[in-house]
Amino acid sequence: MRLISWIWFWYVLVGFIMGGGAVLIWHILKSVHLKLVWYEWILMILVYFVFMLMCQTFIASFQEFEPKAAWFSLIFMGIPVLIMGVVLFRSLRKRYTKKQVD
Amino acid sequence: MAKSNKKYHSTVGRRDFMKKLGVGAGALGLGAAGFAASGIGAEGFKDLDEMMASPLAERKLPFWVKEVDEPTVKIDWENMEIFEGPEKTLFNPASWENPQDYKDIYDRNIASTKKNVQENVPGLSLKDRALADANCWGWGGRSGADLAPPWAGTEVKANPMWEHPTMFYTPEDYGVPKYNGTPEENSRMLRTAGRIMGASDMGFVKLDERTKKLLWGKIKFENVEKGYAEVEKNKYVLPNKDLWAICSVIPQSLWMQQFTERMSWASSNTMSYSRANIYGNRLSVFLRGLGYQAYGGDTESVGRLVGFGVMSGMGEYGRAGILVSPQYGTNIRTVMVTITDLPLAVTKPIDAGISKFCETCKKCGEMCPSGAISMEDKPFWGGNTASQAKGIKGWYMDNKKCYSYMLGGEPDCSRCQTVCPFTKFDDAVIHDLIKLSIGSTSKLNAAIRKMDDVFGYGKEPDLSKTAWDLDPMDIPVYGLDKSRS
Repeated sequence: MRLISWIWFWYVLVGFIMGGGAVLIWHILKSVHLKLVWYEWILMILVYFVFMLMCQTFIASFQEFEPKAAWFSLIFMGIPVLIMGVVLFRSLRKRYTKKQVD
Repeated sequence: MAKSNKKYHSTVGRRDFMKKLGVGAGALGLGAAGFAASGIGAEGFKDLDEMMASPLAERKLPFWVKEVDEPTVKIDWENMEIFEGPEKTLFNPASWENPQDYKDIYDRNIASTKKNVQENVPGLSLKDRALADANCWGWGGRSGADLAPPWAGTEVKANPMWEHPTMFYTPEDYGVPKYNGTPEENSRMLRTAGRIMGASDMGFVKLDERTKKLLWGKIKFENVEKGYAEVEKNKYVLPNKDLWAICSVIPQSLWMQQFTERMSWASSNTMSYSRANIYGNRLSVFLRGLGYQAYGGDTESVGRLVGFGVMSGMGEYGRAGILVSPQYGTNIRTVMVTITDLPLAVTKPIDAGISKFCETCKKCGEMCPSGAISMEDKPFWGGNTASQAKGIKGWYMDNKKCYSYMLGGEPDCSRCQTVCPFTKFDDAVIHDLIKLSIGSTSKLNAAIRKMDDVFGYGKEPDLSKTAWDLDPMDIPVYGLDKSRS
């Protein structure tokens, strides 16, 4: 289980993904002059927490010698993250399109 | 889980590989020379297995450490003097040119220790000395040096092989009153000491007319100041005054439990008993050092372990008839029960939804190879066999089947503990969320049990694997701390 010796690396990687993602979203929203509405904030926070929980479960399950649980956590938590992410994206696109038309 | 033999025989560690190539020194350009000098080319390992079987592969060091032919300290082997032995050290008064010097130091130690205790100096006060005594001399266990026999009350024998100036001093010896905290302060102090001495958790039960029924029948109460035992008559007497049961949870190695059939009995299971006895001895010495009495605290116990565990809130009664802790699941070897007259704040029984979950789960029963664990949906009034006692509405196991399997020549077993959904490492936060659900509602219990299976928890491990196959440095010390893995 040498993976565990490098545990800090995985959390640094997660930090980069989350930090990079946040900067990217902020940059895109700014460039298209869109502001998040309340339910999009809730969705984004939910995506953030479930994604972080998924990452923590994935990494920690290897620490617990439970590789099967690690991979299943990706499926069981990754799918809701994807669904919420798609809903959020579609909501933003819809509002952006409407704004363009107006 | 552990790496398989197959994997071990087909891979080579990064460090060994780098070392063999001579790259470890950082001279990539000299790799070819290093390769030759390292002996791979000259001696010619036939395959990786042979390479790994070489002495170089026996001990893995961090990559920044290199093995050298001579130690970094200079040694003159030609003129090295052979030292006689420990009796020549200054711990032996005879080693001193003037033995009076030794006695003076000894007396100074007693004087300064007494002064510090009398002045209640932080870190050197009565409770600190008691803990030091317990941790330093508590190794005596219940045999050998016999430092704190389980029914000695406040009597503790000095170790004839070794003596420290203030070894086993009581408050009386220090010239101070016995430790006098509130029950809450005493409980807090005991919990702190307990964690240091080897208990995962600790709860306290006041002995009253109800809880006295959890003690063994051979234990009687008499109007005496101190308890006593007449072992030959199987008579054990406690003083008839306010007494509390200190219930200490002794953990066992969850890491080792992954080798359920092959190694559990060898290490996880049995080693916990030896740690438990050392712990019990330490606790006795600690209480004595505070000026209080201690009875029991050994694995013979003074009563029903699960009963005291339940009453002290260390866990709930589970389907397998064993205690299920909300934090450690069933992965606890025993609850050590020590009776004391130190006033303590009692801890209440708990409800974490565990017994309710057991009604649905049944995983321990399904996995039990002897069929000893009841598969009844609901708990029942039992205890009809000679080796059991009535009075509990629970899942009485067929202990004859369990013992026959476990001790009857079949492989030893701790499956009911290993497979329990509450028995988990605590790295993943998701376990706490699941336990939150179990503690809040029983409606999701069936789904949680199903998910436990789907995620692969509590499955029979690959029995071809044992701890012998691992890199020794990947094995947690005592099997308890897996941070090295």
